[in-house]
Amino acid sequence: MDSECLALLPAVCLVLADPKQSPPDDTSLEKLLDWFKELHSQSNGQVLLQHQPCLLEFISSVCTSKTTDHAILAFTLKLTGLLAATTQGFHLLEEGGLLVSVFEREAWCVCDHWEDASVRSGWLQGLLNMLKHQQALDFIRGNGLIKVILQLQNDRSLFVACLANQLLVHILNFLTSSNMTNGSDAVGSSELSLRPDWVSVSSEIMNAVVEALSSEDHPQVLQGLRLLSLVLSQCGEPIRSTLWKDVLVPLEVLVNRGSESLMKTLITVLQAAVRTPLLSQSEYKVEVLLEAMLGDGNRKEHFQCAALILKLEKCPEVLKRKAMNIILLPLQCVSTQPQAEKEIIVVLKEQLSQKASCISLLMQSLSSLAELAHTKYLFEDISIHSVTSSVVLLLRMCSGHCPSSLLHINAFTHLIGCCKVQRCGLDTLGALSVYEENVDLRKDIFGVLLDCLQSPDSHATVMKKTFQAIKRWIVECLPFPDLLQFISHDLFPVLEKRLCDLRWEVRDSTLEFITQLTAALNGYSGFTEALHNSGMVSVLLSSLADAEGYVRASAVAAVGEAVTVSFHIVNNNNLLEEALVQMMSVLSQDTEGFPRRAVVKVFTSWLRGSHPITALDSSLSSVLSLGGNDFDWEVKMHTLELAEMLMEKTLTCCPYAIQNFGSSEETHFTQALSRLKAYGLFDLLLNSLFDCDRPVCEKACGLLVKLRTLTAETADLNHSAFVLNVCGNRWENEVQRRCLKKQPAKASVCVTNLVSKSDEETDCDLHCSRNISLYKILQILDLDDMQRMLTLSSDHVVNSPRSLMEDILSAAQQSEENIVDCY
Amino acid sequence: MPDIKVTPLGAGQDVGRSCILVSIGGKNIMLDCGMHMGYNDDRRFPDFSYITQNGRLTEFLDCVIISHFHLDHCGALPYMSEMVGYDGPIYMTHPTKAICPILLEDFRKITVDKKGETNFFTSQMIKDCMKKVVPLNLHQTIQVDEELEIKAYYAGHVLGAAMFQIKVGLESVVYTGDYNMTPDRHLGAAWIDKCRPDILISESTYATTIRDSKRCRERDFLKKVHETVERGGKVLIPVFALGRAQELCILLETFWERMNLKAPIYFSTGLTEKANHYYKLFITWTNQKIRKTFVQRNMFEFKHIKAFDRSYADNPGPMVVFATPGMLHAGQSLQIFKKWAGNEKNMVIMPGYCVQGTVGHKILNGQKKLEMEGRATLDVKLQVEYMSFSAHADAKGIMQLIRMAEPRNMLLVHGEAKKMEFLKDKIEQEFSISCYMPANGETTTVVTNPSVPVDISLNLLKREMALGGPLPDAKRPRTMHGTLIMKDNSLRLVSPEQALKELGLSEHQLRFTCRVQLHDPHSDTDTLGRIYTHLKSILKSYSIQHVPDGTVIVESIVIKVTSSAEEPNLKVILLSWSYQDEELGSFLSTLLKKGLPS
Repeated sequence: MDSECLALLPAVCLVLADPKQSPPDDTSLEKLLDWFKELHSQSNGQVLLQHQPCLLEFISSVCTSKTTDHAILAFTLKLTGLLAATTQGFHLLEEGGLLVSVFEREAWCVCDHWEDASVRSGWLQGLLNMLKHQQALDFIRGNGLIKVILQLQNDRSLFVACLANQLLVHILNFLTSSNMTNGSDAVGSSELSLRPDWVSVSSEIMNAVVEALSSEDHPQVLQGLRLLSLVLSQCGEPIRSTLWKDVLVPLEVLVNRGSESLMKTLITVLQAAVRTPLLSQSEYKVEVLLEAMLGDGNRKEHFQCAALILKLEKCPEVLKRKAMNIILLPLQCVSTQPQAEKEIIVVLKEQLSQKASCISLLMQSLSSLAELAHTKYLFEDISIHSVTSSVVLLLRMCSGHCPSSLLHINAFTHLIGCCKVQRCGLDTLGALSVYEENVDLRKDIFGVLLDCLQSPDSHATVMKKTFQAIKRWIVECLPFPDLLQFISHDLFPVLEKRLCDLRWEVRDSTLEFITQLTAALNGYSGFTEALHNSGMVSVLLSSLADAEGYVRASAVAAVGEAVTVSFHIVNNNNLLEEALVQMMSVLSQDTEGFPRRAVVKVFTSWLRGSHPITALDSSLSSVLSLGGNDFDWEVKMHTLELAEMLMEKTLTCCPYAIQNFGSSEETHFTQALSRLKAYGLFDLLLNSLFDCDRPVCEKACGLLVKLRTLTAETADLNHSAFVLNVCGNRWENEVQRRCLKKQPAKASVCVTNLVSKSDEETDCDLHCSRNISLYKILQILDLDDMQRMLTLSSDHVVNSPRSLMEDILSAAQQSEENIVDCY
Repeated sequence: MPDIKVTPLGAGQDVGRSCILVSIGGKNIMLDCGMHMGYNDDRRFPDFSYITQNGRLTEFLDCVIISHFHLDHCGALPYMSEMVGYDGPIYMTHPTKAICPILLEDFRKITVDKKGETNFFTSQMIKDCMKKVVPLNLHQTIQVDEELEIKAYYAGHVLGAAMFQIKVGLESVVYTGDYNMTPDRHLGAAWIDKCRPDILISESTYATTIRDSKRCRERDFLKKVHETVERGGKVLIPVFALGRAQELCILLETFWERMNLKAPIYFSTGLTEKANHYYKLFITWTNQKIRKTFVQRNMFEFKHIKAFDRSYADNPGPMVVFATPGMLHAGQSLQIFKKWAGNEKNMVIMPGYCVQGTVGHKILNGQKKLEMEGRATLDVKLQVEYMSFSAHADAKGIMQLIRMAEPRNMLLVHGEAKKMEFLKDKIEQEFSISCYMPANGETTTVVTNPSVPVDISLNLLKREMALGGPLPDAKRPRTMHGTLIMKDNSLRLVSPEQALKELGLSEHQLRFTCRVQLHDPHSDTDTLGRIYTHLKSILKSYSIQHVPDGTVIVESIVIKVTSSAEEPNLKVILLSWSYQDEELGSFLSTLLKKGLPS
């Protein structure tokens, strides 16, 4: 614990307890609590309380004051709970009756403070913080606080109600934790073997759940169900099965009533129950309840329930199949003739004839299908072909095409141009690509996807989903020869059209798709040829001049990828040259960061590839210089990543071996350093070392340390060969200053004796000479210290508790209130 | 009864991140999706798990509406749409859609720069999120689906800021976002129709303040800058790339021009260029003065403000520099601050909110010694000034908006509880409407009583007129009788005959019958005669007939008398009446039960 913080604590307590002071901003109090929590986790809590009587005084004065601000009150409640979380802390607070006066319900319930949700929430959080030992539970029970917590479960504030539920579960868990009972985890194993006074606590809570579930008041039922699902998922035995037995009757009533508004919460309860051993024992009726909720599958709620059942990981197969049959019905009803009972179809068709319910049913059907596909669910009652065909047909309907046999279905009119269903359908169609047998349907599938792309009315988000689906299917159909035919003859012309779309969103998604497609088909010479022969490359190059920055950035990436896959083509030079010219113009002139960042990233990816660097040689120094001087720190970061790649590629004589240069390799190393110098890499690193943005400095420092290690390891290296010109560089002053700081005595001598020859005096030469060896610069900079400092620094959003306390204190001294301004 | 539910997840009794959920006519709408910049963990975003546990926001929400580009209103949007997952529509105005990603990117850059930052969105996520945005124009009614429609109104505050009317059937809510009711140097005042929403959700940042005019604050600012420059000092203004920066640039530019000042003004970031581009592009959103002068000279093309190079900071002599970021916690603004802090001739002007822990926050609280990295101490000798330029409606402005929109209920958000309380009382007193101020997580339910418009048939109206009623007058409601029919999605009040005709129905007569026994020694005919006389004496104004076939008729009521052979003195009186005369029928049966006068 920082002694400086402890020294500040009394003053901070005084400020916070002073009702005349307006409280510090909400984040300060939260952060102060974070610090106390941290102390508590290091078990310094009781030490803090013992050595800091100011905390007790603070708590006491806040509780007695009638005028304390709500924020301070809530903070005090949470803090008190935290301090009482250890038995020693608890006793200290209890001794003077402080604990009772903080949490006593009578005191709270009668005063105005309780009206404020933050105070109620603080009260609950305080108890939650405190409940770490038996005495705390005794305190809660003994003061009748369970009743208050149960009341707060139905609080008008969502946050308070939720917290009350959490606290109740925590209490139940605490009762059954191993040190309190000797119960086992087997279902229905034993009755609660708790202390008699604690049995009353558990039954009070459990009775409240039963009562809530039997209530006529809807919000109360909801809260009861929420608590029940929390208990099921978070509590162990015997609490779980005891409560389940108690609530089974009212639960059955609720399930059979089939109220729509309770459906989701009921399913959450059953979902939690399914995950427990309760499922496997018939007397707990979990499966029966689930089946009851599915009903006969012709009501909206039944579909919702079926959708939720399909999400259950552990679910009896029969039930899952029944749910699946129900959930697929709307889709089948619209696209084919389903094999279901006539009465169900009549009801369903009625629902499908209304637009809102038609859309919602179909979306439920589609999204459940997508989820099944994600798990590669094995359809048994129905062929995957027919399911996929239905989705394809549905998407056709959305595009306005409908086979005459289905024209009589009202749903068709609701589906034309319906983005919601289209988006969902496209996701599902993409997901269905996991079934290999669907590849037979590729003609239909690509056909409908192309339709979506071709329609100028397609919404931008629909286009994006279409691209995602096409990509999945192309990857799936890769070995088929007709795929290339489709790409070059059908897809590319549409893509070229979409690249001229008025909406930037569409142009951008198209470019992103082309980039992904090019990367995925790298190595398929047919694709690369198609890319060149179709004129797509020139369209990509023209997109580099798009009006929208996002699009230009995506175009840069697309062109970069096109160049990458074309490196092995003999007549690639034209493309590379053209690309380089345009990319350099983007890097030097573009007003937005994204395209500039993209250019530097493309260079890095080109270098990373296996092709020779020589083609890029002429541009690299410009990229390093432009990127290093960019005003966007992320462009600078990417430039340093490029520099790192360049160092790796240049300094390695053979791949993967940067170190241990043997004597035969020294020449190579010397040459490599010369090349790096020619690229301007050292200037970049040294300039970046003194950048105004910390991450840039940190990265540059790391690279310089790497460089220093390499130069030091090569003992016979002729250092004088690597001399850098200091003058006119950003880092000149810093190097000079550090030199003087390091060698004050020698430096002063040096000023008087301008000429010195010996090796020892070269340090001194630093600020006299224009040319300094790289080796010397790296030595003089004290890179290790700089790196340590940069790692410690946190960009001046100082998160230390001391800084926080200083801020609270100085804010209190500030008489003038700064009106909160928004940004 | 139908109701509207409003639950703030943020901005309920605070000025943190705005995020308000509205349930209206079965539709769920999220109003704003803001971020709290004061935290560097999950606490900065609204807790969306309160909306839906399974994280499928698309299923729950029908749409998201963003009022303007400030991060406390849109900062959590990429997190919600790309990280939590939301695929539905997001609505904002064209300028907001253009500027919002710049600010999100700006903040992402300063956030990821910090250590220990996790769970934050990337550039790609910002872009993907913006692709889901549907831009809209002012006063354009957008049909989100068959039932839900939204419409944007001008809000002032910042470029592109809008108030939104949300309508489902006959119920409606207006959300103001942040707005101001007085025009400023580059924006106009908020305006809305007299749309009489069921609830007006208004910000209340300055709920108790009658703010001094913005002109005074601007004069103050210029005076301070001028004085510093005159005495040879340097002025640093840390800003974010967009918003306030443009406002202050216009202010200084015109002042420099007017005073013929020579000291250089620099702007340190490349982002401004793009920002200025947007201000030029959306010139129609600015105020009239700027629009008028636009033809002669574009206000956003600055003559005196030049691009900054880091070497200029060491130049001797006075200068004014706008540098990013605005909270003095990193980058160029901090670097310049460190250089200039030691000289008391210099000045730093903070025009915006600073997060706790930043250098900006510390110097605003008057700290004079700052510990920089490596425990080196920086003495702050330069002058520190805070200038609030934010444009919010003050108490007067809020009341003015209520008068404009005439809401049935009022709900206050985006303000401090104590100040809201004061304004709430004032609103309730002056307008006699309910005013709510829910805290975060609290749901306010307002029961609506939608008035259903009904067409009345001309024939029915004519018939009423023929009966001598007054001429129809919109200001004087009156009761009309007729048959209400629902046909082709419209409601009409017509005469019963017309209703039967239109709906192709035939009329059925419903009659009530009743038997009353009484002892009367006379013959059946005499008894009937006695009944006739009795009724004639009681029901003087009614038409009563004694028909020769043995019945007495009072209006539609038919009365007959029978007796049995075994007991001739016990008469059974049969009464039968139609639905229209139910009251009279019951009266007669009760009367006859009492017997006939002797």
